[in-house]
Amino acid sequence: MRMKRIRYFPLLLIICFFVGSCSTTPPPSPEADPNVAEDEKRLWQRAAEEQALLESSGVIYRDQALEEYLHQIANNLQPLEVREKFNFRIRLIKDPFLNAFAFPNGVIYLHTGILSRLDNEAQLAALLAHEMTHCTHRHALRAFRGLKNQNSLILSLKQTVARIASTGDLLDLFGTTASMAAINGYAQHFETEADMVGLKLMAKAGYEPSEALRLFEHLKQELEAENLKEPFFFATHPQLQKRIENCKGFLDKLKRPEAQGIKNREVFLDRIQQVLLYNASLDLKAGRFRSARRGAEKYLTIRKDDPRAYFLVGEILRQRGELEDEMRAKNFYEQAIALDPSYPDPHKAIGLIYFKEGAWMLAKQSFESSLALSPHMQDRAYIQGYLQECTKKGIAP
Amino acid sequence: MKKLLCLIFLFMASCASFGQGGNPSQSESSNFTLEFPEEWRKLTKGKYLMITRDGAFSQYILVQQRHVDRPFSHTKKKINKGMLPQEAAEVIMDEITSDRAILNFQVLENRPAAVNGYNGFRLLFTYKTKGGYKFKTLYYGFVQGDWFYSLRYNAADGRYCDKDVETFREVLESFKIMASRSA
Repeated sequence: MRMKRIRYFPLLLIICFFVGSCSTTPPPSPEADPNVAEDEKRLWQRAAEEQALLESSGVIYRDQALEEYLHQIANNLQPLEVREKFNFRIRLIKDPFLNAFAFPNGVIYLHTGILSRLDNEAQLAALLAHEMTHCTHRHALRAFRGLKNQNSLILSLKQTVARIASTGDLLDLFGTTASMAAINGYAQHFETEADMVGLKLMAKAGYEPSEALRLFEHLKQELEAENLKEPFFFATHPQLQKRIENCKGFLDKLKRPEAQGIKNREVFLDRIQQVLLYNASLDLKAGRFRSARRGAEKYLTIRKDDPRAYFLVGEILRQRGELEDEMRAKNFYEQAIALDPSYPDPHKAIGLIYFKEGAWMLAKQSFESSLALSPHMQDRAYIQGYLQECTKKGIAP
Repeated sequence: MKKLLCLIFLFMASCASFGQGGNPSQSESSNFTLEFPEEWRKLTKGKYLMITRDGAFSQYILVQQRHVDRPFSHTKKKINKGMLPQEAAEVIMDEITSDRAILNFQVLENRPAAVNGYNGFRLLFTYKTKGGYKFKTLYYGFVQGDWFYSLRYNAADGRYCDKDVETFREVLESFKIMASRSA
């Protein structure tokens, strides 16, 4: 029996990510309570091991000031006695897809994709409060202990994972257990509880609870845009629409002050601005042009003077290549150059458009500008080749 | 466990390929031919061809042919017929960097290059796997008609060597597209 527990112990970890319990009073953490069972202690140990792997994998987005801000929001949501038991830490993963998950020891991972999609601090609070509830209410441990047939569960989870194409990579990166946890379908009441307790926490902290609904709307849009049937964060059951309805029901019952709660849009956007730009570039690499453009343009509403953002929108349009995209891209490149004439990349990108149009002299000028500004650019061999061709074709009768 | 299965698969593939070494190589389902030395063994064939001397975890040369309409696994971008080699190289890099299993991807070189007369690009890059293994890859790619061809030499970081690069160069020089079956 003991061996069986150990064998399936990694599964505990997975389930931890998205499941929950019925207790409303947060239990003590394993380290603080000498009476805590061995399996929970091992769970925390295993969580620490998987986190160490994540931290050294190169996927962590590091920004100390931003982490401090996220930490501060998290602290505002929980009373001191809970914060003393769970040393909550919020970490960011470089990933454009909308997802978030919590380890049982209070470490919460947010994808840059989901942080970029949020509109304000209240939505962030809703997300963090939800994830923190998974930790404080020991959802994973309770779910695991409640399983009657662990073999069937594992088989079912593996089949679920296999059905979802976009989770395949996560299996490699986070490990089978973690990945399965993120999409397991055994804890509808846990998710419901996390939504409900999360709403109460954010309202108590003074945030506008109705913003939680906007979080779900963002997730729904992502689901539709990506044509995903069971993406992780929102597929953790109940289904997204059901969760939206639940959330509306909770909001109706919630005792709320007459004044609108805190949203803190400006502060939030100011703090996450660099994530916005970075994540938009990840979206572009993934060929998620719509998401990339949304992120870059959102950044431009905050920082209208950043040539990198104009260049990025230009790149999104040029690489998407729909009707009139190249013309629009040129406009953005020109705006980037107007803001910073010494920025080589937009010169090069305009050169590529002219080159493909057969406007040899204009292409030549742009390429020469880019090379003059950055003589050692990594792709200079291409530029030199284009210049030779421009010269050859430009002087041809 | 997954890693172990991969190792077993590659080991079995290596064993099964004995007796298939030498040149030339031509597959029924691909439209290219190439030559490789006797001491290198063929592991797979079809739309792609993998050869190795010491086993795929040490080094391999992989040649692939894919239709331009075929989507990639990790990026939604596509390679199209009108692309410049530099643009095609960018799609390949984006496909690799969007793969969550590839960590610490670093491009050491990105420049135009030809494969036996076909104009394309050449990438030299390194990466790590989740398990911490480091690899180095020399990658050539080009578009010809409706097909994108890629030829790469991949080796564990410590096994990447001039001798194999020279073998790879010979493979590149021998690479031919069969005219009757192209496009």
